[in-house]
Parts: sequence; C-alpha cells; structure tokens
Amino acid sequence: MIAIIEQGIIIGITGIGVFLTFRILDMPDLTVEGSFGLGGAVTVGLIVLGLNPIMALLIAMILGGLAGLITGLIFRKLNVHVLLAGILVMTMLYSVNIRVMQGPNLPIPITRTENKLTNYEDISGEDPLADLFGDLEQEETQKVAVEESQAPTTQKSAIMNIFDNLRDGSDLFTILSIAGVIILILFVFLKTDLGTVLRGFGSNPEGVEAFGMSRDFISIFGLSLANVLVALSGGMFAMYSGFADVTMGQGMITTGLAMVMVGEIIFGRFKPLFGLIAPIIGGVVYQSILALVMRYGYKIGFRASDMKLLTALFIISVIGFSMIQNPKKKKQLKGKVKSLCSSSKI
Amino acid sequence: MLKLENITVIYNQGQENENMALKDVSLEANKSDFVVIVGSNGAGKTTLLNVILGKLKPTGGQYYLKDKPIKKPSISKMAHLIGRVYQNPDSGVFSNLTIRENLKIASKKGNRGLTFSQIDPKALELLRHLKMGLENRLDTIVGELSGGQKQALAMVMAVITNPEVLLLDEHTASLDPKSARRVMELTKMINEELDVTVMMITHNMDFAESYGNRKVEIKEGVLKEIPERQTTAVYAM
Repeated sequence: MIAIIEQGIIIGITGIGVFLTFRILDMPDLTVEGSFGLGGAVTVGLIVLGLNPIMALLIAMILGGLAGLITGLIFRKLNVHVLLAGILVMTMLYSVNIRVMQGPNLPIPITRTENKLTNYEDISGEDPLADLFGDLEQEETQKVAVEESQAPTTQKSAIMNIFDNLRDGSDLFTILSIAGVIILILFVFLKTDLGTVLRGFGSNPEGVEAFGMSRDFISIFGLSLANVLVALSGGMFAMYSGFADVTMGQGMITTGLAMVMVGEIIFGRFKPLFGLIAPIIGGVVYQSILALVMRYGYKIGFRASDMKLLTALFIISVIGFSMIQNPKKKKQLKGKVKSLCSSSKI
Repeated sequence: MLKLENITVIYNQGQENENMALKDVSLEANKSDFVVIVGSNGAGKTTLLNVILGKLKPTGGQYYLKDKPIKKPSISKMAHLIGRVYQNPDSGVFSNLTIRENLKIASKKGNRGLTFSQIDPKALELLRHLKMGLENRLDTIVGELSGGQKQALAMVMAVITNPEVLLLDEHTASLDPKSARRVMELTKMINEELDVTVMMITHNMDFAESYGNRKVEIKEGVLKEIPERQTTAVYAM
C-alpha cells in the first residue's frame, strides 16, 4: 500500500504541472506526454554516464523546461494552436528520448552488490503485477529482499538512485519531502507579483497586456514551469521504477487531468494551496483505484495493456462526477475535456 | 497629448472583400479633454480605439502620443500610457482573483518579478469614492461581484497608474441604469480630478449629452467634430 502512495505522490507532481497549464493558464499542454518521458530518459541516461542522481534530476528539469519553452515559442511566435504546438513537441521528444537512451528503454545499473539478485522477479519469483497492492501474503518475499539489500557489499558502489525501492515504505519520506518542498516553493511563488499575474492570466489573457505585461512571456514562462515539474516527476518515476521507457509518458496528460479532477472533487476548487495539494492527493487516490482494479481485474482477465482503457473509463467517470457536483461548470468542462481527450493518447 | 493625422485603415487590402474602416481620420485630444465618440455600429469606432491602443497598425497616416510618433505600436508598451475599459465587465478584471490581488496587479505597469508589491493607496481612495463598499471586501473573489461592481473596479484598475489617456469602449452598456450612472460619475471624477484625458465611445445619448467637453461622430469611417448642443440631432440621423 505504501508503494501506491509513493507512486501516487510522484505522479501527483505531474498533476501539479497539468494543474498549472490546464487550470491556471487555461492552456491544454500536450508537451507533458513527451516531457515526462524526457525527464525519465535524461535522468537515467545521465546516471548511466556516472552523474550524481540529484544533478541528473536537475538537468532533466531544465530540459523539461526547455521543452515547454519550445512549445510556448511555437504557440506564441508561430501562432500555432497550443494543442498542436504540444503535439509537435511531444512527437519530437519521442525521437529525442530514444536518442538519449540509445534505445526504447534504459535501466539504472545496479552496483550495490556483486553477484546478487537485483530485480523483483529474481528475488520474489513472481510477477510484479501480483504485488501492486503490496499485500501481506508477500511478507516473506519482502523479508528476503531486505536481507539481500542489507547483505555486506563486496564492491563499493557509486550512488545510482535516490530511492531504495526494495524496502516497502523506505522512500516515502524522501518522496514526501520533495513534494512538500515543491508545493511550498510554488505556493510562495504564486503569491508573488509574477505568480499573481500567472494566476490571473487564465481568466483574462488580454488583461495581462492591458497592464503592460507581455502575453508571450507569461504563456512561455507558464508552459516552461509546468514542464519542469513534469520532467522532475518523470525523472523520479524512472528512478523509482529502476528504468526509463520511451512510452512512460503516454497518456500522462489524461492521467494528470484525472488527478487534478479527483483532487478537486475532494478539496473543491479553492485557493492556490489546495490547487497544489489536490493533484498529489488525486495521484494517490488514482493510483490506489487503478491498483485495486488491476489487482482484482486480473482475476477476470484484465491485462496490463488494458490500463489505458481503464484510465479513460476512470476519467469519464470523474468528469461525470464533476458535472453532477457542479452543473454550472458542465458546458465549460465539457469543452475543455473534449478538446483535450480528442488529442491525447487514450 | 494624442494626435491622429489622416489615419486610414483598410481591412483585406487588395482583396475582393476590401473594406475601408477609417478614412483620413484626424483627431487631437489635449490634456484633460473628455472626448465622446458616437456613431452607429460598424462605423469604425472600435477600429479607431484599436489604432490608439496599438492593437492595429493603420494603413496610412501618423499617430502621435505625447508628441512622439508611434511607428511600431506594441500593446504592452502602449499600455504604459493608455488605460482602457471595455463593454464586458470581465475583460477589465481578473475574475478568479480577489479584489486585493486585482489591485495589486494594476498598481504597477510592465513585467513582474518575484516581489511582493502592495496596493497603491490611491486605489483604496478611489474605491471609497465609489461608495460601493468594495474597500471593505478586498479578499472577495472578483467573479462574485455584480457587473457594475466589476466595471467600477476595472475603472479604478485602469487609472491607478496615472495613464495619459483612458479609452472607454461602451463601458456602461452592459450595466443597469443605476450602476451605469455611478460608473459615469467615476469617469467624470477621473477626468476632472485626476486630469486624465478620456475618450469614450457610447451609444447612450443621455451620457453623450451630459458628459464630455467634446463630441465627435464617426460615420462610414469618416470622423467629424459635432458642435455643442447638436449631439442628439446628429446621432438621431
């Protein structure tokens, strides 16, 4: 169960990025689909090259911001619709990510011990899907894993990962700390003059110009900031999973949107602080629901490849629930989600 | 202060649907002038305002602001000198923010940084002058205000950084009579007490008669000055 919370919080950081573009800037940005994978690919790629994982994450964040910047430039300077600009950058990033990883996926090398079993299947002898909910039946497996991880090392290793995902719950503090710092920084930022303008931009983009500010700057800055967060989330997710994959960002915009919506159902659409916390809570709830469905759905024939279908069904039900909760927003929400879902990969 | 010389605007020039929206328009507004612009729909009033705001580059003619020629107009740069309020009350405010945050944004012109600015004290004075009680509701989300309250707030936001010119495009059209009158009184006060040049487009003949020291009419893209006491007659034509 703790693994679900950990994953939910990591993915929830992407939700904060989607919240920034979708709710604050009112710009559906599909770059997220590529920048999540970019974050993972760059982080793992740099770790493989021997860079410190924290530095690797920071560089991944900068490159994620660059992806958002390119989307913003295409959108504002070439007058291309933001959806198409996002699709173009997302498509470019697919190739870039393969280049970065020198292949469709890249694992983080494990140098903790020599001649030790290092992946889940080797240790547990079971399919990882069976442990999505980390149930009590596998206590023995975890015990073995902990023993393996605590065994005396025969080789002094470099730090390859900020997470130690062998012991259930060992990463929760690290993940919570990172998410907490991000929420705090963003909360303070959104209260600054620039942050206040950014929040106002979504409701009145022309108004920003009326007060002497550049609409281009606000759009591009907002898109960059959102993709910095998404790349961070992608990098963390890759480290948590132990590998990066070129398809890891597919469907992230809809997943992020679902997390924002779940959070809003729980918290309502209030002030910035709630808006920032909501996707994290939404991420945990989302991951829990998916894990439950996969856990029990597996028994009636669901496969991993059905995840996209389940995600889409989940989002549709969330949208339906949102409309029941707030009929006034029905038309507005309908238009936004329609334009988003028609362009995303569900 | 503001001078337009032989401004011509042609939409879709050289195409089948070519349309001359403004024809050799010349207009001069001095400091503290209150110019009322009347004209039927499609006459070219909003095109004229868009030229002044820098949203539209004229096909021909010269535009001077504070005696400087405006050759490459930029909306954000022109915003340092010109305030504007439109018909839709939501277009002049940020509906998802509080009154305090709106005033904070309006208290400064230009790009912002990672600073924490305060509201210009003049904004609170103007809010008190409105007698709408908005000064006591600074933490209310603007989206919860009535149309008249939003428009009054938009007026305050447009003038607190002392623009040289205030452009008003039918800014009372969507308000109830009482709110419209209150907003017009605020407009008059801004013009007289703050010495801001006001250019106001209106379809309201009472307001066209009662306010402003100069009246002009635009008809089929041509602008002409209306002598005092002839506003109603000209507009009725």
